[in-house]
Amino acid sequence: MRVILIVFVLCITNLMFSQDYKFGKVSKEELKETVCSIDSTANAAFLYKFRRTYYEYIKDEGFVLKTDIHERIKFYNQEGFDYATKQVRLYNGSGGEEKISNLKAYTYNIEKGKVVSEKLSKDDIFKSEANKYSNSVKFTMPNIKPGSVIEFKYQINSPYWSNVDEFIFQHDIPIKKLEAEFDVPEYYNFKVNTKGFLSVVPEVENKNGVIRFVDKSRSQIGGTVYDNSEIAYYRQVSKYHLQDIPALKEEPFVNSINNYRSSAKYELSYTKFPNSQIETYSTTWEDVVDRVYQSSNFGDELKKTAYFQSDIDALVGSVSGAEEKMAMIFDYVKSQVKWNGYYGFYADDVKKAYKSHAGSSGDINLMLTAMLRYAGLNANPVLVSTRTHGVPLFPTREGYNYVVTWVRLPNDKVALLDATDKYSVPNILPLRALNWQGRIVAENGGYGVIDLYPKNKSENSVTMMAKIDEEGALEGSYRSIKTNHRALSFRNSYNEADKDDFLEKLENRYNGIEISDYTVKNDMDLSKPIQESYKFNKESQVDIIGEKMYFSPLFHLRTKENPFKLEKREFPVDFGYPSLTSFRVILSIPEGYKIESTPESVALALPDNLGSFSYMVKGGGRNIQVMVETQINESIISPIYYEVLKEYFNTFIQKEAEQIVLTKV
Amino acid sequence: MRVKLFTSFLLVTLSVFSQNNISLTIPNNLKENANAVIREHSIDVTLRSSSDMHVVQKRVVTVLNKQGNDHIDAYLYYDDNKRIISLEAIVFDAFGRQIKKIKKKDFKDVSAVDGGTLYSDSRVKYLEYTPISYPYTIEISCEYVDKNTAFIESFYPLNDYYLSVQKSSYSLSFPSDIKVRTKKRNFENVNLEEVVLENYLSFKVKDIEAIKPEDFSPSLSAIAPRVLVASNEFTLEGVSAHVENWEDFGKWMYHDLIKDTQDLPQSTLKEIKSLVNGAKSDLEKAKIVYQYVQDKVRYISVQVGIGGWKPFNVSKVDELGYGDCKALTNYTMALLKAVGIDSHFTVLYARSSQRSMENDFASMQGNHAILNIPQENGEDIWLECTSQKLPFGFIGDFTDDRDVLVITPEGGKIEHTKKYKVDESLQSIKGVCNISNEGAIKAKVTVISKGIQYDDKYLLETETSRDLDMHYKEHWGYINGLSIDDMEIINDRDNIEFIENISFNALNYSKIVGDRMLLTLNALNRNRHIPDRYRSRKLPLQIKRGFKDIDSVEIKLPSDYKIESKPENVLIENKYGSYKMELNIKDENTLVYNREFIITDGYFPKEDYEGFRDFYKEVSKQDNAKIALIKK
Repeated sequence: MRVILIVFVLCITNLMFSQDYKFGKVSKEELKETVCSIDSTANAAFLYKFRRTYYEYIKDEGFVLKTDIHERIKFYNQEGFDYATKQVRLYNGSGGEEKISNLKAYTYNIEKGKVVSEKLSKDDIFKSEANKYSNSVKFTMPNIKPGSVIEFKYQINSPYWSNVDEFIFQHDIPIKKLEAEFDVPEYYNFKVNTKGFLSVVPEVENKNGVIRFVDKSRSQIGGTVYDNSEIAYYRQVSKYHLQDIPALKEEPFVNSINNYRSSAKYELSYTKFPNSQIETYSTTWEDVVDRVYQSSNFGDELKKTAYFQSDIDALVGSVSGAEEKMAMIFDYVKSQVKWNGYYGFYADDVKKAYKSHAGSSGDINLMLTAMLRYAGLNANPVLVSTRTHGVPLFPTREGYNYVVTWVRLPNDKVALLDATDKYSVPNILPLRALNWQGRIVAENGGYGVIDLYPKNKSENSVTMMAKIDEEGALEGSYRSIKTNHRALSFRNSYNEADKDDFLEKLENRYNGIEISDYTVKNDMDLSKPIQESYKFNKESQVDIIGEKMYFSPLFHLRTKENPFKLEKREFPVDFGYPSLTSFRVILSIPEGYKIESTPESVALALPDNLGSFSYMVKGGGRNIQVMVETQINESIISPIYYEVLKEYFNTFIQKEAEQIVLTKV
Repeated sequence: MRVKLFTSFLLVTLSVFSQNNISLTIPNNLKENANAVIREHSIDVTLRSSSDMHVVQKRVVTVLNKQGNDHIDAYLYYDDNKRIISLEAIVFDAFGRQIKKIKKKDFKDVSAVDGGTLYSDSRVKYLEYTPISYPYTIEISCEYVDKNTAFIESFYPLNDYYLSVQKSSYSLSFPSDIKVRTKKRNFENVNLEEVVLENYLSFKVKDIEAIKPEDFSPSLSAIAPRVLVASNEFTLEGVSAHVENWEDFGKWMYHDLIKDTQDLPQSTLKEIKSLVNGAKSDLEKAKIVYQYVQDKVRYISVQVGIGGWKPFNVSKVDELGYGDCKALTNYTMALLKAVGIDSHFTVLYARSSQRSMENDFASMQGNHAILNIPQENGEDIWLECTSQKLPFGFIGDFTDDRDVLVITPEGGKIEHTKKYKVDESLQSIKGVCNISNEGAIKAKVTVISKGIQYDDKYLLETETSRDLDMHYKEHWGYINGLSIDDMEIINDRDNIEFIENISFNALNYSKIVGDRMLLTLNALNRNRHIPDRYRSRKLPLQIKRGFKDIDSVEIKLPSDYKIESKPENVLIENKYGSYKMELNIKDENTLVYNREFIITDGYFPKEDYEGFRDFYKEVSKQDNAKIALIKK
């Protein structure tokens, strides 16, 4: 009996190993699986994901880029059904149209113990022009049930031979087996950049390739003569074999989950065709910067000055101080040209942007750089990858998607400027630009590197003076001073809002506190911190039980919930910028009461000087003074500190909730 | 005569606008609560025949701030039947100077497929404009012809919140062989100027102040003024109709759009018949059919040509295993028919706003379809056929409590969907909370939810354990450092009950101060939301759905402590509902905390809002009531 069991188990194992990934060979075992073997919580999984991208020589056209896709997806329950719909985007630009061909797709189910397949009909494939530059092919598979497996394959032909789509190795559902291949003739040299938390290393080998030319001509005797010729070349083939890739799951305080998705991006570094010169694209940072600079949408746009000369002359002609000039030009650009929401480090047309008062980040900050240079300042553009775009670890143009401006003043002070946000000030870039390092593109192509994460803390210092009455209501005044990014985000929400509406929202955020005499100072004077002040009153802020009053002294200002609820964390916690929050609360207690007890003072710190918390209560007579300070000293905190960071929040939230007790005299 | 009137009207419009000093003339009351002001909007429709409509529109909007950019409404849908003749936008600065002109070809042109749709043949042209400063004014004019006349533009001068209207006008010219019907709504506070001639009608309004959305208020569609317009003869994707009332409309839909789609394949017919074999009642049969549908088909939206209004053929749904709301409703109807049960295709407005079909005005309305199974006792069964999860007969807040159009072969009729009453939408909590001498809590709780409260919970079934863990930590977010020990959820689809069995613990739940411990009695179900406060409430108070919470929790006190003082029992009763809290001492170390919280649905004048809010404030306060314990 025991032997039989073992044999049986072995059989199954064996079957699982000999999984067939040929198109159409979906097995009963795959269909019968009810829970994903590598992740019991998965709603769906890629059983197989295949992609091969290669070049094919076509007479009269040269090499064209082809991609074969083959995917097999399993559905464990209805929540995974979204994966039964596939959309393929096809670029359609001035260089021609990408085309899809040989699309075949089947749904597999088990019916009465037998595997049945159903073909996706041509009528149920929808092609549409998504916009001017792209077409979309969309289909959804028929007869999807929990347990179904679908399989599809197709080929994409692209005239854009230098542009190879990113190979994605990780999805929101697990992948059991993945094969990917990039096969490229010797004439093209690509560089690969991989990212993500999985380690992904391709096997690379060289293979032979051959181009056959057949020339047809009519012979003089009659009949056709074929003239064959061949060119041999080698191909570099990179292969990826991956197995059991876990699903990528969202976590809070992550700039963009795509930064951690495993993928490989091939970028062209140079081409070298027989009998022609090497044409370089990018291999080193010098090349990247050089190519960016050489591009007409960058260097040339940067050199144009005629369109603004007279305006800038009038603006700063009589000004001598470099810092003053910088400030004036920066403000001028911010007021003259509005950001249209488009990213990019290339300018579309600086002159047009200037005239029409609107442009992309490239238009605006290249214009700013040009103006600063024209005014005699040492200014350069800085290539930036925004928070949602990821981290450019390797030399590549596509690693960047944004540009800001760098200035070195004669006193050696350095300033980073971004004129796309009208409330941004020197060295306080909008949050989107705070990501890793920027690359300074010097005139004629030199480069340098600059850390974009802010060093200076953004502060919020709150002073609250309040009186508790016999009914437990709180009445008092509030004042806060906000600096740097705290001021920037305040200005962006307050200055753009309807003031009554803003106030109502503020009141409702504190569960119906009543606010009067609300004033904001320096909302438009960006050189100074924001000063916000108001008077308030709020009912039942104190628990009155018997002869005693209980309350936690930060009242509505205290942090109530820990933002970190996940038990485990994979990715760094990204706060964007370091911060300091302080509360100074001065309370007076009602007549007829005395202070019975106050919480103990504490100070605690995160390891490696990542942050700290201090809490102090002093009481005497009918006055109580409370000082609370929290600091986070880094923009980004590694996940190895997650446990301790979570516990830090727990502890200070608990401390802030501790109670002061008053008792009737 | 008709044409002449039309032209002169247009000329007037133009001359008003050419004054140019636009934004200097907005009255203050129109700027209040407004992010944008419609300075002038004109829609001029010429119905040349029942299959040829010509429309000229001009909309001049002054945008006061960044939030107002959405109100320029600079987009125009088109498709094979609708052809854009002209489209143009002109931007003026704050002083009325023209600063930009955007031609038709500079509008973006994209496929009008939203996230939920696989394919639609409709396209949209839209304007992307970056404002240079505020305020600015934009004038958008367009002209188009449409062979579909089923949707004649209605006069809907105020189409959004935070938007006011200085002037808005509408005109419709139509041939004498076509009859046009109109219906006016919500003009109590707005003066409507109208001209009604034999073949022409026009409407005009002035100075409508902006409306700000408020908590617990009727939806915009229930309060915004509008004139509905429909013609008795119309064409929809080549299908013509003659409709005077809902009865006609239902007949037309049934005979021209539904009847010929009922081609259930023989094999499926046999299959479903054998499945219901042995079922004792029609109800049981219907349940089997509904389950069959839920297992077999899923919701995918495809809208092509007449397919935007006519369901896919039943055989096609049967083959593909998917369809949109019309297709799936129709498919279920065919299957029910196969087992001898009559059911009716039903058209309605979905979503939680409870918008009703106009009960006395027949026209193309609604955005969703469900299925109606008539019952002799009048409590009809309603089936949501696009969900693979909902229990039989449960429709939740997506389609509850509203007027809908039920389509039968004999014609259409307006009926009302199920309303979930207060007592039906019950959540009951039974729990035990152990408090340790150190102030830690260990809780074990069973939550049973029904009615609308079931609707709020049933999707939890689909969450992974990681996300469910997060859900409960957020649900009880007021307990710091909470960790879940055990969780089990049961979706009882037969009884339409959602059962949650959860155990959790947290250190430092109650506060120890010297010899005392402060313990918040309500650990499991604190009301955390107080409706927003408004300095001056403008809209009536509407509580769309009521509910009832009953909690009974045993609290085991820490052994080293005894009660020093406890809160009094509470009973609050008012027109919005009631709140009851009773604390019973079971034995020396055990308390029983009983709480009952009821909110009743209803419609009240705006003056009542403050009282309603006060009630919630009081409930929140009582939910934070503490007992003081002292060391023995």
